Amino acid sequence: MLARSTIKELYNESSCSHNKEKKTTCEKPKPGATAGGCAFEGAQISLFPFADCAHIVHSPATCVNASWETRQTKTTWGGTDMTQMGFTTDITAHDLIFGADKKLRDSVDYVMKHYSPSAIFIYSTCVTAMTGEDIDAVARDKEKEFGVPMITVHAPGFIGGKNFGSRVAGEAVLEQVIGRREPEYTTPYDINLIGEYNVTGDMWQYVSILEKIGIRVLSSFSGDGRIEKLMTAHRAKLNVLVCAKSLVTMARKMNEKWGIPWISVSFYGKRDTTNAIMEIVKAFNDEALTKRALEVIAEEEKACDENLIPYKALFHGKKAVLNTGGNKSWSFVSALQDLGLDVVATAINKATEDDIEKAREYIGTNGELMKVPGVDQPRVIKERGAHILLAGGRSLYTALKNKIAFVDVNQEKKISYGGYGGLLNFAKDVADALQNPVFQIASKDAPWAK
Amino acid sequence: MGEVALKPISVNPFKLSQPMGATLAFLGVKGCMPLMHGAQGCASFTKVFFTRHFNEPIAIQTTAVNDITAVFDGGEYGVGTAVENITKKITPSLIGLYSTGLTEAKGDDLRGAASKVESPIVWVNTPDFEGGFESGWSLTIKAMIEQLVEEKSDIEARKAVIIPNVSMSALEVEKLKEFLSDMGFLRVFALPDISTSLDGYLGEKQGQMSSGGIEMEYLTALADSELVITVGMSVKECGEALKAKNTLINHLHFDSLGGLVNTDNFVESLMDMGYVANERIKRWRARLQDAMLDTHFVIGKHCFLIALEADNARSIADALSEAGAKIERIVLPQKVQSGLETYKNVTQGDLEDISKVLTDIDVIVTNEHGKSIAQLNSKSLLLRGFPIFEALGHSLKSDILYEGSAQLLFETANLIEVGHK
Repeated sequence: MLARSTIKELYNESSCSHNKEKKTTCEKPKPGATAGGCAFEGAQISLFPFADCAHIVHSPATCVNASWETRQTKTTWGGTDMTQMGFTTDITAHDLIFGADKKLRDSVDYVMKHYSPSAIFIYSTCVTAMTGEDIDAVARDKEKEFGVPMITVHAPGFIGGKNFGSRVAGEAVLEQVIGRREPEYTTPYDINLIGEYNVTGDMWQYVSILEKIGIRVLSSFSGDGRIEKLMTAHRAKLNVLVCAKSLVTMARKMNEKWGIPWISVSFYGKRDTTNAIMEIVKAFNDEALTKRALEVIAEEEKACDENLIPYKALFHGKKAVLNTGGNKSWSFVSALQDLGLDVVATAINKATEDDIEKAREYIGTNGELMKVPGVDQPRVIKERGAHILLAGGRSLYTALKNKIAFVDVNQEKKISYGGYGGLLNFAKDVADALQNPVFQIASKDAPWAK
Repeated sequence: MGEVALKPISVNPFKLSQPMGATLAFLGVKGCMPLMHGAQGCASFTKVFFTRHFNEPIAIQTTAVNDITAVFDGGEYGVGTAVENITKKITPSLIGLYSTGLTEAKGDDLRGAASKVESPIVWVNTPDFEGGFESGWSLTIKAMIEQLVEEKSDIEARKAVIIPNVSMSALEVEKLKEFLSDMGFLRVFALPDISTSLDGYLGEKQGQMSSGGIEMEYLTALADSELVITVGMSVKECGEALKAKNTLINHLHFDSLGGLVNTDNFVESLMDMGYVANERIKRWRARLQDAMLDTHFVIGKHCFLIALEADNARSIADALSEAGAKIERIVLPQKVQSGLETYKNVTQGDLEDISKVLTDIDVIVTNEHGKSIAQLNSKSLLLRGFPIFEALGHSLKSDILYEGSAQLLFETANLIEVGHK
């Protein structure tokens, strides 16, 4: 079980910006006014990308059955891609009354026999945490029996939201995985990626660039990750958090325990990608490395600029309104500006204080930070004469009513927008939207409404 | 029902939970706000799942049970506060309150919590450690009938109400309504009615509650219908529940409306009541006959595996087998009592089980999770069921009655033909 002190600590992360002035807990969901996933979902998002591991969820039907094979977290793992599978003990009323300890043990046996994973993550959920299923005991016994790591994740949904669940996942690997092995060799430029889940292959847009410079990714938590490598993560020289505020706890603790410094970066857009690479390089304070980095970046930026030339004319003078949440509220501003669009407003109602600060920085004094996008959005579009709205599906009607182009940025994306290469993908999508006649035609008045 | 797979774990499950079925049922009532009593994740997973399946925003709220309320609240605080917060912003015509595994395991008193709420509310127990998608849907319909529909002792002639099963698409519900109009009914309702809420249409504004569906004033007045029609084994009892509100109601039940024989039986039953098929219905019957003959060369040569909810499996199996399809195996996410006796190899299982029995199968009929299995084993895949994330337009497809059955046969035959070229 999670100790009370751990839970408290995770709620009150000292590295969170909202804790600079006064101590406040990160989140407490409000009944009837809550959106977003639970702690289990957060843990799942953080850990499922380990494709070499089985993820057994000790739960009834909703937790996994509605969520497996829904995230495009890509992997190069050659075996069965367990990222795209669902394993659940499918708790029934009978299990609830008589206990499901044996069922869980048999499930581990079954998975070991049929899939021989590198490790098994066992998750408790609301129902099994409530009834006090002892997943730790099962893990302990089975690890001894099979000689394969069995990692428990105590992530019942009722302990918090998605971010909190990510922290719980971080806690699980800190206590049970990291430090269990030594790497075969180390280099002075070993880093860990934390919070990069490689959705649509995002990390492949920049890892090869880092390698070209001479930086090695020792382990990844958890995009295209391997559990064996994560065991060696304590030997990295730097932790790189990729758009992952929820995992600052993990970075801070690794700093306290193994003295690994950490930085937080984003790889969306040309400027941010360059900044991210330079931040990483700067952390090593190495002249030769810096020189190599500048050369590689110059090359990459040049190629990126050349690829974007065909779009220059189309994007010139085009005004965009952005309505999304979290780090996207500023990282997409940066990416759009890199493409040559003028971002006139971005929503900040679903952003943290850090995000808002950054959004202000990127959008400048002329841009508007929308606190109530539902109300602000239509007004800003009219006032500024915006050409394109980038938002979630709910805002489609606003775009149509104003007869402007629309890009659904909250939809599960099918293609990577990360790094220099991803910016080109983003450019294509924005260009396609601007040139598509559908928004004009679909918003036409009906014959009987004229 | 065959042997239950002898394994402790479910791998690649396609069983969906009771609260998810309940959600869909509530979304077929206009202005309804489904309120799931559980931790926030149950509602969130459900919302994301249906948003992607229907490509539409999905209205749903949660009581967001947390570590403290999980222990100290019996439901009253969570439900009461949730309703307060919801009604601060909007005025739902109905709040659909339903439970989850967590709140049932801790024994919350849903009825008690609902009784303290002043807004119109319906409550239903739908733990996700029992039953599944179909039972969650039908339990919710039953609860709506029992708690909302007023008792009547008279009948309005030519008024009918359809109770569809959870797998029927928006267009199937609409086609069935139109079919009854074509048979001579004057007022036709569906409970719930997703044909005007989850049919994928461009509305004026995307509301926070269910944007379409049966209106509350019609829902409460359903008990003077001359006829209630239940379609699917899972909703048979709902018809009986409505009849309990007025013994004069006629209840016609059909396990399936897929294919010619089932539709003929349906029409005959209506004719017995004095209704008459119009020209459109007759024309579509003739087209279906032709479609069966046109497609039987292809369909009759091939073996099918169907992995869907029981009512959906039965309907599609009936329609395809009339053109000679060899239904080799039916895999259900849940045990069912009856209704599939005419088919062989009916088992309960998951998608891992399916991948082991594909040797003689040509076509798999299942949801999008079947895609990788079909690709890996070079089988044709007829996409049906939940979820369908990538393919578009499935809400506007019908596989039932004369017309839909004909379309299903054509789609299937074309799929096989394309696959073999």
